Amino acid sequence: MDLINPAVVDLSRFQFALTALYHFMFVPLTLGLTFMLAAMETVYVVTGKQIYKDMALFWGKLFGINFALGVATGLTMEFEFGTNWSMYSRFFGDMFGTPLAIEGLMAFFMESTFVGLMFFGWDRLSKPGHLAITYLVALGSNLSALWILVANASMNMPNGAHFDPETLRMTFDSFVGVVFNPDAQAKFVHTSVAGYVAASMFVMGISAFYLLRKQHREFAARSFRMAALFGIFSTVAVITLGDVLGRLDYEHQPTKIAAIEGLWHTSKPPYEPWIVAALPNDAKQESSYEIGVPFVLTPLITHSFDTPITGMIELEEAAAPRIASGITAVSALRRYEENHQAADLELFRAHQDDMGFGLLATRHAPNQDVTAIEPEQLQNVIEQTKPDILPNVFVTFWSFRLMVFLGMFFFVLFAMASYLSLKNQLERNRLFLKLCMWSIPLPVLATEFGWITAEAGRQPWTVFDRLPTFMSASTHGVSYMLFSLAGFTVLYSIFIAVELYLMFKFARLGPEAHAPHDDHADPAHLSVVAH
Amino acid sequence: MIILLRFAGLGLALVVALLFAVFVGDQGPWYFAWAVGTVMIILVAAAGAVLFDAQVEQYTPEGEF
Repeated sequence: MDLINPAVVDLSRFQFALTALYHFMFVPLTLGLTFMLAAMETVYVVTGKQIYKDMALFWGKLFGINFALGVATGLTMEFEFGTNWSMYSRFFGDMFGTPLAIEGLMAFFMESTFVGLMFFGWDRLSKPGHLAITYLVALGSNLSALWILVANASMNMPNGAHFDPETLRMTFDSFVGVVFNPDAQAKFVHTSVAGYVAASMFVMGISAFYLLRKQHREFAARSFRMAALFGIFSTVAVITLGDVLGRLDYEHQPTKIAAIEGLWHTSKPPYEPWIVAALPNDAKQESSYEIGVPFVLTPLITHSFDTPITGMIELEEAAAPRIASGITAVSALRRYEENHQAADLELFRAHQDDMGFGLLATRHAPNQDVTAIEPEQLQNVIEQTKPDILPNVFVTFWSFRLMVFLGMFFFVLFAMASYLSLKNQLERNRLFLKLCMWSIPLPVLATEFGWITAEAGRQPWTVFDRLPTFMSASTHGVSYMLFSLAGFTVLYSIFIAVELYLMFKFARLGPEAHAPHDDHADPAHLSVVAH
Repeated sequence: MIILLRFAGLGLALVVALLFAVFVGDQGPWYFAWAVGTVMIILVAAAGAVLFDAQVEQYTPEGEF
C-alpha cells in the first residue's frame, strides 16, 4: 500500500491552516458586531434617539465591509475538503457533510438574505421590523458558525457515528448526538463570545481614536460605553467556556491537554504547578526553563485537588496495547475486505475501537502494510508508533498560553474601560485610550491562537482516535500544492489589504457621513465624557 | 379581537420559549447558556447606553452628576 507523499500532506495542512487563519481574521468581527448592532438599534427603537440609529448605520457599514470579504475567504475552505482532503471526506463525509450542508443551506442563506434587508431596509421597514431583521442577521451569522463548529467538534469527539466495515466509512447514527455533542456546545459558545470580544475591542478602539482626536465625541463616548460593557461580560464568558473546553479535553483528548500544559510526566497533585512559561523540546521529550505557579494545575484541569493528570510519556506507554490491538483490527479488516469471512469480521469488531491506532502504525509497517508485520517485528513497530500519538508540544503549549495571556489582558482592559466610562473619566486617560486603540487586532490574534491550539492539539488525527492525518489528504503532486498555496496566499493577502484599506478609510471618515452630531450638540452635554 | 390575537400570539411565544428552555436546557445546557447570556449582554450594553443618556441629561455646567 502506498502512503500519500508526506510533503503533500504537510502542504495540504499548511494550505488549510493558512486559509482558515485568513478566514478567521474576518469571522470574529462578524459574529460579535451583528449583536452589537442589534444592541444599538434596540436602544434606538426604545428611546427613539437618532444618534443610536447613526451608530447602527456607521458600525453597520464597517460590518458590511468585513462581511463581504469574510464570505469570500470562507467559500474556498468548504471546497478544500474535497480537493485536498478527499481521503478524509470519503472516510468521514457522512458525518461531516451534514452540518456543512446545513451551514450552507440554512445559516448562510438566512444570514445573506437578512444582511441585504438590514442594509437596504431602513426606509422600507418599520422600526421594530428592521430591528427584528438585525437580530436575524446576528442569529444567522452565529448559526453559521454553530454548524461549522458542530462539524469540527465531530472531528475532535466523534459522537453520533460508527465505523461501518462494509463501506469502510464512518456512518451517521444520530443527528441529536452530533448537534448536542458536548465539544460542539462548548466550542460554539467559546468561539461565538470570542467574536463578541473582538467586536467590542473593535468598536472601543475606534471610539478611543475619535475621543483622542476630540471628534464625534457624543457618538464615540456612547459607542465606547456600550462596547466596554459588551466586552467585559463577553470576556468572562470566554474564560468560563475556555475552562469547560479544558475539562472536556482532559476527559476525551488526554494527549491534547497534556501537550497544552507541557506535562511530560503524570502530575503530582495537589502541588503540581501550572507552567506559565517553558521551552518544550519535542525531540528530547522534556521542557527547560520552566516557570510555574504551584498548586494550580490540578484544580484548574480536574476541578479537584487529588486527581492526577496523565503525562505524555505515560500516555505513550498506555498507547502500546491499543496500537497492537489496532494492528489486529486493521489486519482483520483487510482480510474481511478480500474474503468476507465472518471470523475476520468478528475479530475486527472485537478490536474496532483501536482501529485508528492500527492505521497510525501503517507508516512503520513493512511496505506500509500492517498485514505484513511479522510477530518478531511487532514490538519494534509499536515502539516506533508510540511517539506518533503526541501533537507538537511546543506549538500547542505556546499557542494556548498566548491565547490565555491575551484573554487575561482583555479582562483587565474591559474592566478598566467599563469603570472609566461609567465614571465619565475617559478623556483624561489618554494613555488608556491609546492602549484601547492599539489593542484592536489583539482579540482576532487570540482567536487565531485558540484555533491553532485546538487543531494542532488534535494531531496526529483528523478524526480523533479514528483517522490519522497522514492518511487523510488527496494524492496531489507537490507542485500542484505549491501552486495553489501560492495562489491562495496572494489572493487572501489582497483581501486583507482591501479590508484594512477600507476599514481605515471609513473609520477615519467617521460617522459624519450619516449625521454631524457634534456640530449641533449642546457643548455642555459633550463635557460628560471629559469628566 | 386584535387584543385577543395579540394575547394569543404572545402566549404562543411564551410557550415556545418555555419549550425551548426546557429542551435546550436539558439537552444542550451550553447552547441555552449562550442564548440567555447573549440576551443579557445585549441588555447590559443597552442599559449602559441609556445610563449614558441619563448622565448627560443630569449634567450641569458645575459638573454635578
